Amino acid sequence: MNIPSGLPSEPLLGMIVALGDDELVLGHRNSEWTGFAPILEEDIAFSNIAQDELGHSLAWFSLHEQLTGKTPDWMAFERNWRDFACCRLVAYPKGDFAYTVVRQFFFDAAEQVRMKSFAQSSFDPLRQLSVKILAEEAYHLMHSQGLVERLGDGTEESHRRMQAAAETAFPQSLGLFEDFPAEADLVKAGVVKPSRELQEEWLTEIMRVLTRATLVVPVRKKNGTFEPECSPDLGGRTGRHTDDLRQLVSDLQHVYQLAPGQPW
Amino acid sequence: MSDTQWETYEVFHQSRRGRPHEHVGSVHAPDPEMALQMARDQFARRLDCVSLWVVRSSDIAQTDYQDPNFFSQVFDKSYRDPKAFDAPARTEPAES
Repeated sequence: MNIPSGLPSEPLLGMIVALGDDELVLGHRNSEWTGFAPILEEDIAFSNIAQDELGHSLAWFSLHEQLTGKTPDWMAFERNWRDFACCRLVAYPKGDFAYTVVRQFFFDAAEQVRMKSFAQSSFDPLRQLSVKILAEEAYHLMHSQGLVERLGDGTEESHRRMQAAAETAFPQSLGLFEDFPAEADLVKAGVVKPSRELQEEWLTEIMRVLTRATLVVPVRKKNGTFEPECSPDLGGRTGRHTDDLRQLVSDLQHVYQLAPGQPW
Repeated sequence: MSDTQWETYEVFHQSRRGRPHEHVGSVHAPDPEMALQMARDQFARRLDCVSLWVVRSSDIAQTDYQDPNFFSQVFDKSYRDPKAFDAPARTEPAES
């Protein structure tokens, strides 16, 4: 498969890798709850969600492979961690269950908004893949949103923990909407909507739920839309990661690197 | 220590439209909506499924295993058994 002439190929490939990395890294973080979640049912649910995210990352890397020839295994197991393009949000340690739930909710809501925006993309494969991802993501969002509402507006302790998690995760989540490298070219070619617009839609979505959950994050309302009142945690899209990603990727690649290229 | 467990919901699973919902197990959940989501993860991911029911376990009225008489057959009632004809395992839809 080739990228149609007229579309900026480097930025497009970069964005595909970034979206695959978000899913791969968050999927790995979620898998750390397997066997440890506070409730048996959630243990299974989060393991399912983790596998779904890994499946989405495989879908992105398969598309990338069709365009570049690099295999998904190479992307996941042989790439240097500095070449990952995930946002910082997904690499932070899993924290307590409240942090995991809030981060997952912010991520699911963002993915929903972004995948819907791909319905108008000038690059066909994005349109097709987003339809498949949305079908599964709708359920993820229902799940994490349900937990945010019930734990946010739950007991004194659950509210306290969820509020603390929301304060931590909110500036980090703004990193989901950090511009992709050369994003202006992608916008001009009709491949994507500007991240800034997606962030606005995302804020409207999450504020509706956070209000019901009695949780507060630093935003102000201006002309009917929300604007963050804190500095976003950026850097991931251009490879400025925290040490958490280095450790995570080292764990992720550990077994593979014992015998690189060995068939399973 | 206080009881931090959520209440349990019994889960009924239907594999095809028209088939009966069959009891497959139970889940812990804070309310019916979450119970359906939990049930989806526990029981519908690897089985064919078109519908799930959840019922709060405490809403089910049940017989008492300790009550010896509830199901007892003291008198011979064999004359009531439909033994004189063969009942088909399933019925065919009527010709229209």
